[in-house]
This record gives sequence, C-alpha cells and structure tokens, in this order.
Amino acid sequence: MASITRRGLLAAGGGALGGAAGVPRAAAQGLAPHERELHEAAQREGEITWYTGQFQSEPSEAVGRAFTERHPGIKVNVVRSASQVAFQRLSQDARARVAQCDVFSSTDTSHFTALKRQDRLLPYRPRNAERMIGAARDAADPDGHYQITYLALYLLARRTDRVPEPEAPRSWRDLTDARWRDQLAVGHPGYSGAIGSWCVAMRAMYGWDYFRALERNRPQIGRSAGDPVTTLNAGERTVGVGIPAAATLFSISRGNPLSLIYPEDGTLMVPAPSAALRNAPHPNAAKLFMEFMTGPAYARATRPFFAESLRPEVQPPEGARPLDQIKFVSPALQDIETGIPEVKELWRDTFGI
Amino acid sequence: MNDTATILPKPAARAGEPRRAGVLDRLSHVEPVALVWLALAVVLLLLVVAPLGKLFLVSFETQETGAFTLSNYVTAYGRARYRDALVNSLLLGLASATISVVLAVPMAWAVSRTDMPGKGLTWAVVLGAFVVPPYLGAVGWILLAGPNSGVINRVWRAATGAEGALFNVYSFEGMALVIALHSFPLVFIFVKAALDLVSSEMEDAANILGAGTWTAVRKVSLPLVWPSIMAAFIVIFLETIALFGTPAIIGIPARINVVTTQLWQFFEYPVRVEVAAAYAMPLLLITVGMIAVQKLLLSRKGFVSQTGKGGERRPIKLGPWRWALFGWCASVGALSVAMPLLVLVQASFAKAWGRGISLDNLTLRNYRLLIFEHEMALTSIWNTIWFSASAATFAVLIALLIAYIVNRRLVPFGEALGFLAMAPFVIPGIVMAIGFYAAYASPPLALYGTAAIIIFAFTARFLPIAYANSSAAVRAVHPEMEEAARILGSGRLHAISRVTAPLVKKALLGGWLIVFIVASRELSAAIFLVGPRTRTMSVLLYDLSEAGNFEVLAAFGGLLLLITMVLVGVGMKLVGRDFMLRRT
Repeated sequence: MASITRRGLLAAGGGALGGAAGVPRAAAQGLAPHERELHEAAQREGEITWYTGQFQSEPSEAVGRAFTERHPGIKVNVVRSASQVAFQRLSQDARARVAQCDVFSSTDTSHFTALKRQDRLLPYRPRNAERMIGAARDAADPDGHYQITYLALYLLARRTDRVPEPEAPRSWRDLTDARWRDQLAVGHPGYSGAIGSWCVAMRAMYGWDYFRALERNRPQIGRSAGDPVTTLNAGERTVGVGIPAAATLFSISRGNPLSLIYPEDGTLMVPAPSAALRNAPHPNAAKLFMEFMTGPAYARATRPFFAESLRPEVQPPEGARPLDQIKFVSPALQDIETGIPEVKELWRDTFGI
Repeated sequence: MNDTATILPKPAARAGEPRRAGVLDRLSHVEPVALVWLALAVVLLLLVVAPLGKLFLVSFETQETGAFTLSNYVTAYGRARYRDALVNSLLLGLASATISVVLAVPMAWAVSRTDMPGKGLTWAVVLGAFVVPPYLGAVGWILLAGPNSGVINRVWRAATGAEGALFNVYSFEGMALVIALHSFPLVFIFVKAALDLVSSEMEDAANILGAGTWTAVRKVSLPLVWPSIMAAFIVIFLETIALFGTPAIIGIPARINVVTTQLWQFFEYPVRVEVAAAYAMPLLLITVGMIAVQKLLLSRKGFVSQTGKGGERRPIKLGPWRWALFGWCASVGALSVAMPLLVLVQASFAKAWGRGISLDNLTLRNYRLLIFEHEMALTSIWNTIWFSASAATFAVLIALLIAYIVNRRLVPFGEALGFLAMAPFVIPGIVMAIGFYAAYASPPLALYGTAAIIIFAFTARFLPIAYANSSAAVRAVHPEMEEAARILGSGRLHAISRVTAPLVKKALLGGWLIVFIVASRELSAAIFLVGPRTRTMSVLLYDLSEAGNFEVLAAFGGLLLLITMVLVGVGMKLVGRDFMLRRT
C-alpha cells in the first residue's frame, strides 16, 4: 500500500509542477494559426492512435509525450512494433472493418504505395512539411499522401573491445572474408522492413552470391534490424550488420562498448514514411499529428534518441556523422516494391530460416 | 476424509423443515443435467467450434473471391521447408515434454510422499519456473548459454581451457531444455496432486508383500498417477508446439523453423490466412491421435485412489537418499529460476548490461521509465491481471462441468464435449487468435480491439489445461460417495455441491492458478488480438525484445514477476495454507 500511495503522491506532485511551470499554456501559445485551428478540433476528439514501426519503444513513447505536452488534452496511444507487424495490424483492422488507427508509420515505403493504391490514405499535406530538409521533402509522396518522418541509416557496428579499429571491416563486401566467421549478427527481412531494403541494395550491388558467401560465415540471425545491438552488447558476436544508427548510438550513450562503421560501399538510407488514414477515427488529431511529426518539436523530441533531424533548425544528433559527409546507397522505390518479396524467399532458401 | 463426514448431518437438517423448502427441494431433485449439457454445448460452440470452423472453411477458400479450392493445402505443404517446420515442432514437443517429465516426477514424488528436506524451497522453484514467461527465461538462457557470451560457457572455457562451448542454447537441445525448464511445473502440479491422493496403505501393502521403497514406487505409486503424467505430457507437448516467443528468440538464431514461425510467414503481407489455416488443419489430427493413444494406454485399468474409505498418508523415510533428491530439486531450481533470474535482475538494474556488475553501472532508470514515463506499461499490467483472472474463472467453470458430465457418463456423446475442450490446445495460439479474429472481429459483433475477445481467446486456449486438471480431479473421486448422498435423498446438483465440489476444490483452485499464470504470460494468442488500449504485458515484453534495449525489457520482466508472485501469494493465503505448502 505504502508504495502505491507514494507513487500517487509523486505523480500528483509531477502534475502540479508541470502545471505551475505553465508548460501547456506556453506550448499552446507557440502554435502556428493552422495548427491552432486543428488543435481546437482535435481537442474535442481527445486522443489519437499511432501504429509505428519506426523508432524503438522508448523514443516512440517520448514522441507521444512530446505531442501531448504541445497539445494538452490529446492523448497518444502509441502502438509500437516492428514495421511488418504494424502493417499486419493495419491490414487486420481493414479486414475486420474496424478503424482503430489514425496515423501509421513504418520503414517500408511499399506499405504506403499499397495503401495509396487502395485509396486508404488521407490526402493531407502538412504545412510544416514545407520547411523540412530536402532529403525528407524529396522522398515524400508527390500527391501529399505520406510524409517522411524518419531518415533511417543502416550500417555496421563493432564491439570496440574485441575488434580494434584497424582490423574492423570497412565495407559490406569485407563481411564475406573468412575472418568474420561466427562474428556477425544481422536482422531478418521477414521481420524487418529495413533489412529487406538492405537485401535489395546488396543484391543490386553484388548479386545474390553475396549472401551465399555471407552464409559461409554463419551470421547470427535475429528479427528486427535493431536485434544485433542486443547480440553485440551481450558479447555473443562482435560485428553488427545492417543495424540502425539511432538505436546503436543510443546504446553507446548508455555505456555499451560499441562503435559505428560507415561502410565504404555506402550506408543504407531508408526514408521512412508516415501517413494519416482515410478512415481515421480522430481525423483532426491525425492531421495535427502529421503537422507535429513534420515540425521542429518532433525533431527536438527524437534528437535525444539519436534520430537524424529532419528540420534545418534542429541540430543533428551527437556522435553521428553529418549527412553530407556520408556515402549513401538507397534502392529505388520500385525496386523495393518488387524486390522485398523476392529477397525474403531467397533469404530463406540461403539461410534456412 | 473429514469432508465426507460433515455432509451427513445436512440432509437430516433439511428433512426437519419439509414444507417451506418444497419448491426448492423439488428443483434440487430435478435432473438439470440436460440443460447444463446444452448450455455447455453452446459455450463450446462459440469458444471453440465457431473460430475453428471458420478457419476450416477459410482453408478451402480462394482469397478475395471465396471460391472453393484445394490450392491452399498444396501451397502449405508443397515445400520441403514448410514440412520440415512441422516435423521440427513435433520433435520439439516430444523432447520438451519428455525432459519436463524427467525433471518433475521425482520432485513431485519427493514433495508428496517423502521426508525430503526443503519442500518449501521446492515449491518456490516450481512456482518461480512457472511464472517466468518462457520468452523471458529464453532471454536469460541466452545470457547464460550463448556459445560465446554465455556465463556458463565463459566459466567453462576459463576452467578447462577448451575452445568450444559447453552448452549452446542456439540449438535444438537448447530450445527443448529452455522450454522444458518453464513447462515442468505443469507435470509437478498434476502429478503431485495425484500422489497426494494415494494413501500409504497401498504402499504398505506392497511393503508387506516384500517390496522395497523403490519397487513400491515403481509398481504402485507411479502407476497409480499414470493418468496425471500422461495428461501433463500431452499438455506440455501441445503447449510447446504452440509457443511463439521462444522459437522466435532462440529458434531463429539456431536456424530452426517451427510451425509457429512458419505461420508467421504466411501472415506476412499479403496476408495468406487461407494458407495458414490449411497449414494448421493437420494439427487437429495430431490431437485426435494423442487422445487416442492416451485412451489406449489407460484403458482397462483402474486408477481410483480416493474411495472415501479413510486412507492415512505418511512420508516415506528415505535416509541419506533424501539429500540426493533435495540436490535434484535444487539443481532444477538453479537451472530454471535462480540462474536466469540472476542475470536478468543484473540487467534490469544496469545502465549497460554488457558492462557487467559494478557500482557505476547501477541505475533505477529502467524501472523509473516503465513506471512513470511509459504510457502503456502500467495499463498493460492491469490488463494482464484482469484478463487472466477472468479467463481462468471461465475456463475452470466450464471445464469442471464438462469433466463431470464426461466422467460420470451422464449424457450420450458427452465425450464430444471433452474432445472439444481439448481441441484448442493444438491450435497454435496465433491460429487460434486468427480464428477468433475471423469469427468475431468484424461487425455485427465487432469485438476486435476489445477486452472481451482476448478474454474469450484465453478462455478457449487454456480450456484444455483446466479440463485436464478437472478431469483428473473428478476421476479420482469415486462415484460411490455421491451415490451415498443421493441414496440419502440428495439431488444431483446438491450431491455435487456438497460432496464432489469440496473434494475437488483443492484441485480446482490449483487449476485456476495454473490458468491464471499461463494466461498472464501468454503471448501468441494475444499478439494478433490486442488493440491500442488492450495490450498485455507479454505483448509489450515481446515488442521490447526486438529492440536493442535489454535493460528495460529485463526491468519489465521483473515487474511482471513481482506482480504475479504477489498475486499468487495472495491466492495461496486465500485458498489456505494447505494448498501450496502443507496438507495439514
């Protein structure tokens, strides 16, 4: 009982402090006119449900809190999972003819082109998107159905205490060297949209033989692209393959002995979209959330979790290389759409799982 | 047998007030069993038949058009990789169930029948192993027995100078062992409950005829509890092939594809529910097969050990052997609870668990994040508790009624109810969830995203546990005792409530706790049915396990365990001290 009371007191104290600091009012005053209009309509709806496969759980919750802080009275139901799971949930909703989701975010652009073809996206072009960085604007839907809300980078990482820098692999190509036998860890294209894109990119550069050579080194296969971060932290393997820069930098900031490697043959960049749904149960809140995700407050909220900033006024995350100094590889949209189902099958034939 | 004695004065008291209770009295003499049978049939229809029937129909449908086709079966079993997954699942189920029986039967016997020291500790081990969700245990074991990083293998290499690993968790054996380490409590609880009912007189008889302790155990005690061992074996086999979390966490790195991970592939976009349904159908045949085997093995033998004719129970004196048994129980405890939990607790208080134990690595922020900053964490805890409690109550109630009807052969085709109650277990939780989804998610019922659909799915999914438990309990009560009450003028329901119910109460409460615990850690049935506001702890834990953020995952696991332990402790107090620890 005592602990519950104490928790209640703490929570109440926190609320009082927040009120005293006047955060909600100050935030509400900082709204642009188009935001204020949506804000008032959205307040009547009271909440929003967000299916996301972009950030991990902790940063996703932080985004939800930041939105409620900026728009008091609108609660965010964060439903975070891997991108493929999030898309499955959305597909299930559709088949059950139940509308639960307002805004959908994933790392697989083909989800959005499919949704758009089925006319299930709300054509809404957030005003805030006009002032995003070029990389985000360029990859957004020309018709305004979806926006880029996460510029995801996938690269290599090493255990600093096991693999000294001079010996570290420098490229994707290096990973097929016999030196890395039983040292590699990687996600799975059947679970991770990002690893699907990575497979498509590697196949385009080196052919599928690359993966047969990789299999000779017996990589440890996990599920999401972020899975190898755990494997490396445990010391089970020493080199992470195709792992997200943001989650790795976050893990490093917590003291884990990891270091990023930007591959010479190109860091994989995946512009990950978000969209409001046509049948959103809270349409105004959904539009407001799209404004929020394309605006600077979102960039500030995700920066502590090492997400790349999509706004010119917000600095890139600490310890990350500036985007203009990175060599990128990015599969074309049509290659992703046709390629991901193919590489999933090839993967299972090659790796047996 | 105090319970039987106390009922005798009651009918006498009722006889003293004949007129006033006239209507009620007459009602209690009516045989309402047909009505109950009907009600149960409807409930089972909704919980089991409709979802599975829908799946069955879907397995013959062409996507979009719904036209009849057999191509789903061709697709589902047309590739060697898919068939291999089925074989892997069957082997895994057999291996895990066998290991569980080997681990738990000596423990159950030791606690129930002998003077082994440390029985309380053994109970703690059983409970601990049971409340740890298998995927959490799997994560703990990855830390313990990862071929390179595992504590066990590091110690082994340091001690022997060997190159290789002592035990690689990323293997078939590793997966089977980890699953068994969290399934053996079912065997323990089933077998101990049955052993508790075997009176020492039966063993005495064997001793008088010249059998030593071991011979008596082998020839008398164990054969008498054979039905319980069989039931537990089957339940564990079926639960193992339905597991999703452990195969995803250990099986994928081990490159072992099983039914559940294969089903996942059929649900990838574009979702092929039809193929998944076809893939799942042959599993039903396996249940039928297992139940047939059980019947064959148990046929024409008597297992009645509780006859209402007294029966003293004395612990068997083991001498020095009691320490060997204690050592066995302690080892199982170390492997299933102490060692994995130790590494998990370390991680939950660590800033970076890769850095090991040191003062500057200690933090409370993982717990703080979950309790104060995570919007869903506390809600999911509450969801888990009340979904599981509701499901356990429904399941035990339904199962008891069915078990009674089946065992007493009250109606023709009662066996059909028993079969339906057992059927859900072979349907992997994911498929069960899809069946519920197909049948109930859409309008007019529109249960998708509600608490009800999850509670119903849990109820259906764990009905077999409750049923196996109730069935064993009812079977152990000889009908003579009820018949005695009925001869004295009691109606069937009255006899049940005054004679049978008190006798099986202990077993039923045990069954309730078991269902509550397995429901609270259930992942595969929940993951496709949760809505934004109805997520459970297991679903959140699974989502956290994908991330490279193991410290928070461990802390959340810690909270889950703490809460379950508290609830189980409260349950034990309410049920009475004799339920978990002592019989007196």
